[in-house]
Amino acid sequence: MAIIKIENLSFSYPEQKSKAIDNISISIEKGDFILICGKTGCGKSTLIKQLKPEITPYGEKEGNIYYKNSPLETLTNKESAAEIGYVLQNPDNQIVTDKVWHELAFGLENLGVPTPTIRRRVAEMASFFGIEKWFREDIKNLSGGQKQILNLASIMVMNPKVLILDEPTAQLDPIAATDFINTLYKINQQLSLTIILVEHRLEETFPIADKVLVLDKGKKLIYDTPRKVGQSFGNSKNHSIIHGFPTPIRIYNECNTNDKCPITIREGSAWLSKNFKSNANKVAPYRKPPHSKVVLELKDIWFRYGRELPDILRGVSLKVYKGEIFSILGGNGSGKTTTLNIISGINLPYRGKVLIHGKNISDYKKKELYHNNIAVLPQNPQTLFVKNQVEKEFEEIVNVMKYNKDEAIEKIHSIAEVLNIKHLFKMHPYDLSGGEQQKVALAKILLLNPKIILFDEPTKGLDGYSKKILGSILMDLKKTDVTTIMVSHDIEFCAKYSDRCALFFDGNIVSEDGPVAFFSNNNFYTTAANRMSRHIFKNAITSEDVINLCQQNLKNDIIKEA
Amino acid sequence: MMKASAFESYHPIVLFIFFASTIFFTMFLTHPIYLAISLAASALLLSTLIGLKELLKTTLYTMPIFLLISISNPVFSHRGVTPLFYINYNPITLESTLYGLAMATMIVSIMLWFRCYNLIMTSDKFICIFGNTIPILALIISISLRLIPRLKDQIKRISNSQRTLGMYTDTGNILEKVKSRIRILSILITWALENSIDTADSMKARGYGLKNRTTFSIFKFDKRDIVLLSIILLLILINIIGEIQKYSSYHYYPYISNIDLSLKATFYYISYLLLTILPTIIEIKEDLKWQSLKSKI
Repeated sequence: MAIIKIENLSFSYPEQKSKAIDNISISIEKGDFILICGKTGCGKSTLIKQLKPEITPYGEKEGNIYYKNSPLETLTNKESAAEIGYVLQNPDNQIVTDKVWHELAFGLENLGVPTPTIRRRVAEMASFFGIEKWFREDIKNLSGGQKQILNLASIMVMNPKVLILDEPTAQLDPIAATDFINTLYKINQQLSLTIILVEHRLEETFPIADKVLVLDKGKKLIYDTPRKVGQSFGNSKNHSIIHGFPTPIRIYNECNTNDKCPITIREGSAWLSKNFKSNANKVAPYRKPPHSKVVLELKDIWFRYGRELPDILRGVSLKVYKGEIFSILGGNGSGKTTTLNIISGINLPYRGKVLIHGKNISDYKKKELYHNNIAVLPQNPQTLFVKNQVEKEFEEIVNVMKYNKDEAIEKIHSIAEVLNIKHLFKMHPYDLSGGEQQKVALAKILLLNPKIILFDEPTKGLDGYSKKILGSILMDLKKTDVTTIMVSHDIEFCAKYSDRCALFFDGNIVSEDGPVAFFSNNNFYTTAANRMSRHIFKNAITSEDVINLCQQNLKNDIIKEA
Repeated sequence: MMKASAFESYHPIVLFIFFASTIFFTMFLTHPIYLAISLAASALLLSTLIGLKELLKTTLYTMPIFLLISISNPVFSHRGVTPLFYINYNPITLESTLYGLAMATMIVSIMLWFRCYNLIMTSDKFICIFGNTIPILALIISISLRLIPRLKDQIKRISNSQRTLGMYTDTGNILEKVKSRIRILSILITWALENSIDTADSMKARGYGLKNRTTFSIFKFDKRDIVLLSIILLLILINIIGEIQKYSSYHYYPYISNIDLSLKATFYYISYLLLTILPTIIEIKEDLKWQSLKSKI
């Protein structure tokens, strides 16, 4: 029985010509795990918001949605609140109350459930999700991952029949994200709950989905099993959506082998073994890090937040060279972000020295340090925006930097050109998508004419295509001799674009090398492409490396056969 | 840090009535015996909650206040009929000195009671009391308590970002500082409004605004709560009767009244003592119980 049936659904926002959703028809079976993916702005969120009447945006709607064979409109408010659960992206914004137990009870209170029943159902959910230990905790003491699990639990407590999630792991670190996705899988398998998930993190979600819906510009591109979806992209290789797909699928689609499309790393690795023998050409070119002038040096940095508190950094020393892209990786709380704050002068070490262009950071005046020198792109770009128009944001910086008129116009336009944001000039910064906000924020700090740019988690919440664009921006900056230091959880991204990577653990750097040496020496903390291909190819760390090697091998085979 | 307390585990309503009555009595009963009882009982309770060492620390903080009040009253007020000595032809009277001491005792014991109150009545307990009477107020308090730490956190993030733009300074002249602060506030407000849309969506999605909302509380009203509440209410009643019969009233001016030590008066003093040390008794009883349990384990 189809639990949800969408028939010829179209939707357009008021005063907008193009349709946000264009003639979509799908049917979702009870107990299905549906994954919806597509580029930012393809109408994913708009589509799933149509399934939850309370938060459906205003606009023109055509077509029908059936829930359990009757139109969605006939559902009472109470039924809709209880039976269709909805989890949003930002873990913080959707929590209403100040205590864990109160948040769990919130939905049931609204439904008018009596206290003894609430007590039982809250207890049940808290045990199912492993919340007992922090059941009486204040929300402010929870980690991001715990908050998102709480959001899920506080919806599950209402006993929904359908669970809809809008990029629930976008703001989480990889470990918390994997935990969250595993929890979803557990719910789906054990309670046979229907799940509709919108995600950018496809590596983990593709293998567990029953069906994948790919959207492009509001249209249904394909709606099928993950394997068939993977297979079908062989013909439309150049479609930009494929950049976000799992590594095995991307590699498979670049090589024309006529077999089943691998979805997991395990399948991908078996697929490689089957198609490629241990032949010549298995070593990927070694990327050599550039060595030029040292622009930044940390000398034995020790840091803690207070006299009584434990050390966060324990003798960190590192050198960053001019024009390189330096990535800092590591788990939560290993001191990555603190190091970034020390480099930017926000936190002061109690021991050790920070040298910028060979000069101690404390000898710089404020203006010298932040203008024409160091700039920071924070994790949340919204903290940079002050004005109500993108253009005004730029004018503000131009005034501070005391550029003359022609120079200012020239600068703004050349930066806008590179970042491709000219069409956003008249918009309110908060109306932009995550990726666009980041680009505008980057443009703003580029106007400060920095020599060193610090990025804090630049790929958080970005889809595959936006990541690729960000990567090419970083490469462009590199050409102009700007040094980039980024802190990231995104192994794939760091492997692809950085010149050197450093791994933080327990307040210090434990290893530091060029990406090829760095990742191919690690067994677990390495890219999916490397894990998939390490038994056949040496030093292949990005999917591009693997694809190149595969294609070379295929070519050789053809030559031999001829 | 507070150790696990037995008194704390009672239902918030019982706790609230206890603190409301003791603090109320302490404020209005200026009888020296009542004040002495209140001070001793509050200090006792606090020491069972945070330990003797912490109590002494607290006493150090309250000492200046005690001295200030008890000295300033006789210096500024010259009422009373028994002069002790003269300063600049102004009499320092016995009555005024004693009154100052009484007021200082009262203020310090109220401070100690409030310290106990803060340790025991956490925000969720406070909300629970309103949850049953004014549910919407309880929810508003809960939402605000969630919002305050978030805003504080966001202010820090914004000021860090703005600092790296060279647009925020906490040094420099006042004009620059005020400008920086206004800038941060403006960003904060935009951020808060923008993000509250999500919160509203999340509330709506979980059925907020439906009719017949109930209020859940993790606190259960048990038999032992009924027992303790009855004892507290009984003792409050006895003390009110004592007050009506003027056993707890006392005047300092123009001359101090005598302290009544009759059997009936003593009965009322003891009932007040019982009321105020009730939580301490519960704590000690629990300690003893654990002592005996430990020997059995």
